[in-house]
Amino acid sequence: MLPFLTSKFGNPSSVHRYGQEARAAVEGARRDVAELIGARANEIVFVSGGTEANNLAIRGLAESSENHGRHLITSAIEHSSVRGICDALEKRGWQVTRLPVYEDGIVRVDDVRAAIRSDTILISVMLANNEIGTVQPIQEIGKLVLEERTRGNRHLRLHTDAVQAAGRMELNVDELGCDLLSVSAHKLYAPKGTGALYVRRGVRLMPQNAGGHQERERRAGTESVHGIVAFGAAARIAREELGPGTEHVRKLRDRFEQEVAARIHDIVLNGRRDRRLAHLSNISFRFIEGEGLLISLDLQGVAVSTGSACSSGTLEPSPVIQALGRNDELARGSIRFSFGKDNTEEDVDYVLGVLAGSVERLRRLSPLNKALA
Amino acid sequence: MPYSNLFNDHLTNPRNAGELVEATVVVEETNPICGDRLRLALQINDGRIVAVRFLAYGCPPTIACGSALTELLTGKTIAAALTLTRQEIVAAVGGLPSRKQHAAALALETLRQALGQN
Repeated sequence: MLPFLTSKFGNPSSVHRYGQEARAAVEGARRDVAELIGARANEIVFVSGGTEANNLAIRGLAESSENHGRHLITSAIEHSSVRGICDALEKRGWQVTRLPVYEDGIVRVDDVRAAIRSDTILISVMLANNEIGTVQPIQEIGKLVLEERTRGNRHLRLHTDAVQAAGRMELNVDELGCDLLSVSAHKLYAPKGTGALYVRRGVRLMPQNAGGHQERERRAGTESVHGIVAFGAAARIAREELGPGTEHVRKLRDRFEQEVAARIHDIVLNGRRDRRLAHLSNISFRFIEGEGLLISLDLQGVAVSTGSACSSGTLEPSPVIQALGRNDELARGSIRFSFGKDNTEEDVDYVLGVLAGSVERLRRLSPLNKALA
Repeated sequence: MPYSNLFNDHLTNPRNAGELVEATVVVEETNPICGDRLRLALQINDGRIVAVRFLAYGCPPTIACGSALTELLTGKTIAAALTLTRQEIVAAVGGLPSRKQHAAALALETLRQALGQN
């Protein structure tokens, strides 16, 4: 990547040798990203990240299929970018069905089937959830979409947000049966600011950036060459390391959860345990609030996240945890622990120690704890 | 997260946390919108606050403001406690971002309830 920030400065749209050098690098990266998901290189559109990929997929498809119908199906636990686009389309007159996920955090294929109408043009369900890691039955939904298309619902398409899943599980667009799939470079350890949308051959999208011929007219604007080159390298490494990498984080995560359950009472594990990405653990701690725990851990060198946000006196408990049917207290007290390839058993031991101490300290402060004790 | 060292110290080592057996007054206030809760117990002798304890549930500023409030109140007369402002509570935790000012407002509201001056 670094040479593309210094000596290899060409614009891939330029005809001179510097430009062609950059073009060759972008096309090489395109092949690598395509290979990660079992696609053809010309089905990959480079964008600025997962959010833009989701925007281009959903808004682009909705706008290009407007004459065939204005109904979308999505789930209650999508990433905020998908939720945001669906909300925006709804305000402009599209109809949106948001499927429930039940206590285990999984969409039911029967619910998808029941929601499909003659004017449904798109189903957008994430491959794996970013907060609780639950893997959705995209392959089964893909089969359903194919059945629907052969039955005459010709314009129905399937999009899946695979931002969280890429590099964490085997991905193949043909096996999944999806028409559109979003990925982000930084989830594969590449720098932030690059992503890609897979667009199956024959699927038409209304470009959301107009005024340039880049990316086969689907995304105008000069490519971020260094970001794309890094994305390609990261995709290559992710494919090579997938098996052992997944086992490594699964081992760390499973021991972590086992120990947390043994050491800390009044916790709830979120998401169906046997259908989750291997590197994520989401736990609700009763009587305390996630942000307090987050900051307390941060001060001890442990970076975690919470889906809930409290700002300006309004509370937004995590919509994902709420969709599991958890009450506000459990939604507010949820924390996501994410394990990476560089984490070690010693890291897990350290986190377990500071976590137990922090939870105990915050619980001693909590009036909820006293009231319910 | 641009919290001050003073803020982090209140969060990590909260002052006067817990219940107060000899409390003269105990109140618990909840921010109805976000669910933050603060419980304040005061022991008042001859018009002076001689001991304070707090419990808090909510985002970190709620905990830090509760802790700082107990320090501000200990030893004060009721008359002096009544002049306390939200700005003083904010200053006592080393400042708060604007989106977290409500934590100091809850602390002040709880104090006023406790002193019967809402």
